Amino acid sequence: MPELYMRMLDRILTPVLLILTLFLLLRGHNLPGGGFIAGLMAATAFQLQILSRGEAVVRRQVGRLLHPGIGVGLLTAVSAGIVGVLDTGFFKGLWFDIPLGPLGSLEIGTPVIFDLGVFLVVVCVVTSYLLGLNAVAEEVDA
Amino acid sequence: MLLAFLIALFISGILLWLVRPHNKPIVGWLSILPPGIITAWQVLRIPEIAHGDFYSESWRWMPSLGLEISFRIDGLALFFGLIVAGVGAAVALYTHYYLEKAPRQGYFYLALFAFMASMLGLVWADNLLTLFVFWEGTSITSYLLIGYDHESARARAGARNALIVTGTGGLAMLVGLIILGQSAGTYSISQIIAADGLRESAYYTAAVVLIFIGAFTKSAQFPFHFWLPGAMSAPTPASAYLHSATMVKAGIFLLARLHPALSDTPLWFWGLLIFGGITMLIGAFFAIGNYDIKALLAYATISQLGILTMLLAFSSEYAVLAVVVGTLAHALYKGPLFLVAGIVDHATGTRDMRRLAGLLRAIPLTGIVAVLGIVSMAGLPPTFGFLAKELLLETGWKAIGYGDTLAGWLVFGGGAVAGALFVAYSLTLLWEVFLRREADVDDEAHVHHPPAFGFVLPPLVLVLLGTAAPFLLGPLAQLLDPAATAISNETIHSHLALWHGFTPMLITSLLAIGTGFLLFLGRGNYRRFLALLPPNLRGVVLFQRSLDGLYWVADRTTQLVQGHTLAAQAAAVLLVAVVPVLAALSYTSLDELLPDMGSQPIGWPELILAFLLALAAWATVRAEDRMSAIISLGVVGVTVTLFYVFFSAPDLALTQLLIEVLTLALLVLVFYKLPEEKRPPMERLRQIGIVFVALCAGVMGFVLVLFNGSPAMDAGTAISSYFIDNAVPLGHGANIVNVILVDFRSFDTLGEITVVALAALGGYALLRAPAVRLPDPLQRQHTSKTEAGKEEIASDA
Repeated sequence: MPELYMRMLDRILTPVLLILTLFLLLRGHNLPGGGFIAGLMAATAFQLQILSRGEAVVRRQVGRLLHPGIGVGLLTAVSAGIVGVLDTGFFKGLWFDIPLGPLGSLEIGTPVIFDLGVFLVVVCVVTSYLLGLNAVAEEVDA
Repeated sequence: MLLAFLIALFISGILLWLVRPHNKPIVGWLSILPPGIITAWQVLRIPEIAHGDFYSESWRWMPSLGLEISFRIDGLALFFGLIVAGVGAAVALYTHYYLEKAPRQGYFYLALFAFMASMLGLVWADNLLTLFVFWEGTSITSYLLIGYDHESARARAGARNALIVTGTGGLAMLVGLIILGQSAGTYSISQIIAADGLRESAYYTAAVVLIFIGAFTKSAQFPFHFWLPGAMSAPTPASAYLHSATMVKAGIFLLARLHPALSDTPLWFWGLLIFGGITMLIGAFFAIGNYDIKALLAYATISQLGILTMLLAFSSEYAVLAVVVGTLAHALYKGPLFLVAGIVDHATGTRDMRRLAGLLRAIPLTGIVAVLGIVSMAGLPPTFGFLAKELLLETGWKAIGYGDTLAGWLVFGGGAVAGALFVAYSLTLLWEVFLRREADVDDEAHVHHPPAFGFVLPPLVLVLLGTAAPFLLGPLAQLLDPAATAISNETIHSHLALWHGFTPMLITSLLAIGTGFLLFLGRGNYRRFLALLPPNLRGVVLFQRSLDGLYWVADRTTQLVQGHTLAAQAAAVLLVAVVPVLAALSYTSLDELLPDMGSQPIGWPELILAFLLALAAWATVRAEDRMSAIISLGVVGVTVTLFYVFFSAPDLALTQLLIEVLTLALLVLVFYKLPEEKRPPMERLRQIGIVFVALCAGVMGFVLVLFNGSPAMDAGTAISSYFIDNAVPLGHGANIVNVILVDFRSFDTLGEITVVALAALGGYALLRAPAVRLPDPLQRQHTSKTEAGKEEIASDA
């Protein structure tokens, strides 16, 4: 069983890290951040989980999702490119303004969707590595 | 509309995969709908297209490269499209019964529909590059379908051979298509066909030879024919559909498609005549030596593909019509025969002809389908196969008449010999499996599982269409003439008929049938003779030998480059990076490369950071144990992060910091728990070598960064100013780094995340390999070297 302070850290830090991930992902196009960084940030959250709860628990929770997640991420990225074919070519960036009434409007474009794909690939790949290496480490430990 | 059809096929494949149709019989019947609708749509287009009113559509893909997704349905595309979609509808229903209750039926449907979409895209394509993309799609889906039974070593080997042969051929063809596109100045197929002067181009020979390689590998022409019998380990629906009716015709289709632009040169003529002729004779000659029904049909298919290739050498009206009629007839008899082979297999549990007998009485409806198909395959009058053979002989006869004596006699004589062999193996199949009373061997197979009506329906419909065709030649001309016209580029009005009077062709045909009957009677000796031939000369064996040779070379190279310590491997990689950079730098003078240093004063913070960095690096190298080395390495990384902060690169700093955190956590985790390793101190010479390589790499990095701001490298600034100016107006983002990653250079990023994803799969395999499971130190001392080697081999396997 992991030590108490790790579990305390996990309780407090994991939500913070995940909110930070979302924040970095969403603002990435205009301010420092983006899919790659957000993916790494989410992976650190998973590493914290692994440290505090053990590899087996995390694997039970998300292990099944990781490899499909990589595929979904790649598909998201590719489909963001394919949307451009409807206009002038592959990976042509298309932008839409979604009016939100009094809140102003939300500008969303295919590059943002592409970034989401990058995020998914990075977080799933890094987490699957983390799980794999931690498993090896724990096995040596045992 | 056409793109929508292809996407709908993909989606319906995914849906079929998700609903797991082996549980729901109705879904098998519903799977007819997607290909059925496409068939119906194409049938409705027949009159328009017969009038020359072609249907086309196009989407821009990468305009700067001339890459488009463009489709154009002319006579030839419609003709092949109808075969693909029509036979596809039959095979879709058949699959449900063939893979009855198989849990992976949905997966098979997924691959089958993906193949169907690729094949339709291929025949509809009006752009060489579009065609290539779909061409590769058929290779990959064919690989998946052949290897469906992935637990069988034979299926895996067959799938691999097919993929290597067709994939290599596809790459050669891509080069040929690019040469063709560049010398024509356009990648649009319709424009290339209309253009003149391609034959005079200096690159004509190279383009044609490469395109031949692509077409020959795909259509199983000699010397690449061996992959097709190996592909018979695919489930029968795939064999019937891909390896008989459609995919193997892709090479024929490509040759027919480019026929107007490239034919009528000695290279085209003799290339196709010789390779097609050899393939025709080899296939027909060896067919009867096989006792597996599917293998026999595979050789017969090779032979038929050879005939079609050989006919495409000519440009005469008869040759072109013979290609069209031969293709359709073959799809309508060989497709059903393969399906019948599957039914026989399903009903009796074997496809070995020695164990089969009397199936016409046991399963009459299937038997009738088989009889109709086999009679057409043998080319007996009055079948569609007979008409195709007549046209083949007529092509040769007419060529003799026009003065092409040698080529004409080759075709006429070769066609007659092949015709006799066709009769021999067709009759053998008919007699041994369906008519005779008892089998050769004692353990005769019996029907224990009679086929359902839905199982026999698909081949029945196809074979009835084929049987009716020669009596409906008038209406059928609406379909055949435009296809023939597209191949020859001259308007063709066929006057096909079964009865031409007593021509030399008819007499030869009858003689061939008689000879074939004699061969059938003497089939015992014939088979014994074939069994005497040395097995080592077979294509498959030779191919396997060359593959083994390739693996041996790869193994040696790996041993040489990567067989040593990690340090030696890293040294090899780093030196390979250093040498070309130094070589490139020697082309410019140092004055040009040194940047103007005056404008950037160096402050104290930078100096302190640089000092810290050097100190930490030194500490890493000199560290006594792993933990201190890892921690000093972390200090190096964080210091670099600080550099990024100082030079206002927040994105890089964030990324670097996160990576540092993750790697540090991982390294500490893994190394903390690794057993202490006692090694003797490193030899002096190796130490010097490692220091030398490290210095080289360090100097290269330093020099490259230093020179980056110099006038000689102003290419860099030109690009960055474009990014800075256009990030907001074009990329809609103020974070230039992110806009570059996801918009300006999104294609690069896509490549990178693909590599990352593949690395994840590789890492997953590696981490699960037994070699990673480290034994504890006590055990390790007792483990001898040989045992460790064995373990490694086991983990490789």
